[in-house]
Amino acid sequence: MADYVEIGMPTPRVDGVAKVTGAARYVADQPIPGALSGALVHSTRSHARIVEIDTAEARALPGVHAVITGEDVGHYLYGRMIKDIPVLARGVVRYSGERVAAVAAETEEIARHAADLIEVTYEELPAVLDLDAALAPDAPVLHPDLNSYPGMRPLDEPSNAYRWTVDNRGDLDAGFAEADIIVEGVYETQRHHQAYLEPHASVVSFEDGRAHVWTNTKAPQNIRDDLAATVGISRDEIVLHHSHIGGDFGGKGTPMDLAVCYFLAQAAGRPVRMVADYIEEFMAGMPRHSTRTRLRTGVMRDGTIRAHHVQFFVNSGAYAGYKPAGVIGGAPRAAGPYHIPNTRIEAVHVYTNIVPGGHMRAPGSPQAVFALESHLDEVAGRLGMDPFEFRMRNLIDDGEETAWGQHFEHVRVKETLEAAADAAGYAEPRAPLVGRGIAIGDHGSGGGIGNAEVALEPGGRVVLGTAIFDQGSGTHTTLQQVVAEELRAPLHRIELQVWDTDGTVDDSGIGGSRASRVNTNVAYQAAQDARRKLVQLVAERLGEPEAAITLDGDEIRVEGREEVLRWPELLVEWEERVVGRAYIEDREPVRVTGFVAQVAEVEVDPETGELRVLGLTTAHDVGRVLNPVGHQGQINGGVVQGLGYALMEELAIEDGRVTTLSFGDYKIPTSFDIPELRTVLLESEDGVGPYAIKGIGETPNVPVAAAIANAVADAVGVRIADLPLTSEKVYRALADEASRSSRADAPESTE
Amino acid sequence: MLHDFTFHRPGTLPEALALLDEHGYDARPFAGGTALVVLMKQSLALPEHLVSLDGIEGMSEIRLDGEALHIGALVRHRDVETSPLVREAAPLLAETYGRVATVRIRNMATVGGGLAHADPAQDPPAALIALGASVRAVSSRGARTIAVEDLFFDYYESALEPDEIIESVAVPRPAPDARSVYLKFLPRTEDDYATVAVAAVGEVDDGVCTDVRVALIAAAPTPVRATEVERTLTGQPVTAEAIREAAEAVRDHVDPLDDFRGSADYKREMAVVFTRRALERTLLAEDA
Amino acid sequence: MRLTVNGQPVETNAPPGQLLIDLLRADLGLTGTKEACSVGVCGACTVLLDGRMVASCLALAAQAEGADVVTVEGLADDERLDPIQEAFLERGGLQCGICTPGQLVAARSLLNANPAPSEDDAKRWMMGNLCRCTGYYQILEAIAAASQGEA
Repeated sequence: MADYVEIGMPTPRVDGVAKVTGAARYVADQPIPGALSGALVHSTRSHARIVEIDTAEARALPGVHAVITGEDVGHYLYGRMIKDIPVLARGVVRYSGERVAAVAAETEEIARHAADLIEVTYEELPAVLDLDAALAPDAPVLHPDLNSYPGMRPLDEPSNAYRWTVDNRGDLDAGFAEADIIVEGVYETQRHHQAYLEPHASVVSFEDGRAHVWTNTKAPQNIRDDLAATVGISRDEIVLHHSHIGGDFGGKGTPMDLAVCYFLAQAAGRPVRMVADYIEEFMAGMPRHSTRTRLRTGVMRDGTIRAHHVQFFVNSGAYAGYKPAGVIGGAPRAAGPYHIPNTRIEAVHVYTNIVPGGHMRAPGSPQAVFALESHLDEVAGRLGMDPFEFRMRNLIDDGEETAWGQHFEHVRVKETLEAAADAAGYAEPRAPLVGRGIAIGDHGSGGGIGNAEVALEPGGRVVLGTAIFDQGSGTHTTLQQVVAEELRAPLHRIELQVWDTDGTVDDSGIGGSRASRVNTNVAYQAAQDARRKLVQLVAERLGEPEAAITLDGDEIRVEGREEVLRWPELLVEWEERVVGRAYIEDREPVRVTGFVAQVAEVEVDPETGELRVLGLTTAHDVGRVLNPVGHQGQINGGVVQGLGYALMEELAIEDGRVTTLSFGDYKIPTSFDIPELRTVLLESEDGVGPYAIKGIGETPNVPVAAAIANAVADAVGVRIADLPLTSEKVYRALADEASRSSRADAPESTE
Repeated sequence: MLHDFTFHRPGTLPEALALLDEHGYDARPFAGGTALVVLMKQSLALPEHLVSLDGIEGMSEIRLDGEALHIGALVRHRDVETSPLVREAAPLLAETYGRVATVRIRNMATVGGGLAHADPAQDPPAALIALGASVRAVSSRGARTIAVEDLFFDYYESALEPDEIIESVAVPRPAPDARSVYLKFLPRTEDDYATVAVAAVGEVDDGVCTDVRVALIAAAPTPVRATEVERTLTGQPVTAEAIREAAEAVRDHVDPLDDFRGSADYKREMAVVFTRRALERTLLAEDA
Repeated sequence: MRLTVNGQPVETNAPPGQLLIDLLRADLGLTGTKEACSVGVCGACTVLLDGRMVASCLALAAQAEGADVVTVEGLADDERLDPIQEAFLERGGLQCGICTPGQLVAARSLLNANPAPSEDDAKRWMMGNLCRCTGYYQILEAIAAASQGEA
């Protein structure tokens, strides 16, 4: 192991003091003199033609400065990859909650009142509210013009199934033909809100001929570009300023109201601030997608898997634009890190008339892993094998490719599972009504563009410039650690400077566990560049060859000279500063992944179906840990988010409308609801970048639901195949099971 | 910012009652605000006059008067929960008030305001009905006593007239050997409303149930007293079987709604389960 | 009306419909107090009113007349952080920070009421302050650490 001074040390957040004193400003806190308040009108119909929007009363209300509808916002559609979302609905609404009109007024109350005064006349159209309806042969097509959408892969015939991919490996039919047993299952997941506690917010103010923008996004450069394209101006005309971000979990990729805010500010000739309330968040956010996964697996009696067929149906909701890639990944994870020679993986993305899905923490993986890992327990059950043994038989070793055909380096999935099982006492005897379940997942760090600047200032300050807006995961702190490490300077001298979007042209921002791969590396390189330039400067000033100069923290030694120089003082004396800069464009596919294996222990109350998670063990294949405090925090938060997904969280949708419209109805775990958590870290030198690290933000939330579902099955013998695992579902399954077995017993009793 | 209204701060109860009398349906009494402010935010209540009861003398006290606890309407939930007097005289009440929402809300919500809100998912009425409590309702027309079990008509509808407020709650002190329990079924989170909850108070003498009272919340449009369950058990020898049978009778008392905490059918089944468990805890001696 | 906010006397003409959170954030510029759920569930808006924690999103400004209000900005004493703030920093009791002001005020009020809370006490007290980042473990560790420091 390298000899580090900062890397691996528990490090308090660089933004911590600002956050614990209340000084940290989020978008809603930005003092913008003269800002008006914006408010939205949302569709009350799932699918309808807009016949008329009567804004007369709203316009007449004193204090109202602007009222806009789809007619006022140009023809551009927005979105991350597929551009299919109108800024405000034009002619048609495609989900209940869609943005239809907007108002800017002196106060929030006036704006909301005015919004209430806007009368929209609809003509209802047939709606497709779920996958079955949307995939029916005679289903109305939501987006007849989808082939015209930028970023859309054209279809021969417009269909709600806007993308249907099929990946084949080996010979699936032959694999099933040779299998001794074939097991099928269908697994459903619900829409799940990121439930960051800071609602979406945007501010737009025109000054000096430019649009000044504050919005809670973790990808500022992309969003600046997207806004420019959406409103039809050049990106140079926009500057997006930094604010702290109050939680993300995938939901702060696309500001949903930013373009509306822009047009309102333009129409009103005043700055406008829009802050969503949590009703709007639940009704018209961009939650994790609901899915249906059909799995069919052929196994030999000895437990080896020969064939596996995945059909992963993603309920896109009304639009595709909030998905950074136009689709979500995940489908491969329904095949898993298993050695399976014959696979077919189908991923189907389907438009429906409900709130569009976006990204959330390891997009697609929790859904797919819930399906696969639940299914594998069912397969093991059919074989009469222990689920642990069954997995150990089929998991890949280093050098083998996954069931979706990917070669990862340094595969340690079996060790990770064994570590989890050991720490959890998986094989220990269980009390009655107590069960243990295991599940596995993985997530690699994505690539992208990163920038960093490291400036050595006279006197010893080090200014670390970054384009990253830390959404809470702690990237700023790890960047600070990296620079402190490479300069051997104490942390407190590394001052963070977060750029607005003028700071650099392109930067991918946060997402896909990119920070650990791209941003750590770019900060490292910028620090190295600063060191190099410092050496150059010293060499030039002293008239010595660069090779004669060595840096050790602040100290500079020159070969053949007795005296020890110090750069903080030299830079004062010379009135110089040294600026190191780095830019990385890393588009390599993911070659290293981080595995996670979890064991859940639950106790089921058979009379009520209530399940209590007695303990959760989470084992992670982590490479090197940069900051143990932040790293553990990602694990803890991810696991508890996974717990909410598993047990209780569901964006309930009735007749197309979201009905869980507050944190009173949409419950997330509280401090009282968390289980005992055991963490096992398998450290290694196998990660990416200069410090061999791996991302940790996404994996902890991935296997939780499957592990708990498997534990319930282990405890009381019922399989819940749709999330969340509510007490009522367990109760019903137990009741069904009891009536089945009493029917099965019936002939005996008549004998 | 809420809608525009006049905020009155009467110094005395008669002044407050006069204001309510004067403004009738246009006025609402205002105490802790936890329920009413949410209704106002959602434009479900838009009173032109709020009559603040804060600062009215004599309505914030808890005292034990002979065989009854008297709790002023302005006493905060948290103060019922932590009151040594309540803990000693009626521990069930302290326990139940301590299960309402979270500490922050219990610091704000008042005893009278909570009852007047008439939300059938609120915890306290279960305990109050099981303990045989009543409220003293006052208006400029006079005062009357209403048993808590008669206080509620429907979802968010109480027997109170618009000019009437709850002044205090009287809770008879349970018999020294009575046992009581409040069971709140929270399958989602600890800060959730109950899927169903049951309070029971019971006395057993020589193996025979001499008195039992059972009340449920979150199970019907109003809190309900399970009189049929009580009747079946009272005067009978206490056995697990008798309790099991009696609990079945709760089905006829409940009329739950489908919501995010469970379907109506499930809640009905859970009402039976938790009624039985509450009865077991109160009536079956540990060594039975 | 008059009140005291973080030890400073304040005089204001709050309209009757003004909520305490709006008085703090908009009129007094104390934007440390956050608004998230707006219905009293999440705890981001928690402040102390005469020493007791309340939801400032559900309180009328008028209810604070003559009262002593403490917000997150009032926890630190002349640049010296409150031990609970220090403990949150050291133990990773915060990530994105949006719930943090409410968590800190709630934790402070817990320690004021009960200087040596058990883990169960802390979980019960803090369950009104939702956090989506930390899963609460490090918040509870921070409270335990601060309590040991104070006990």
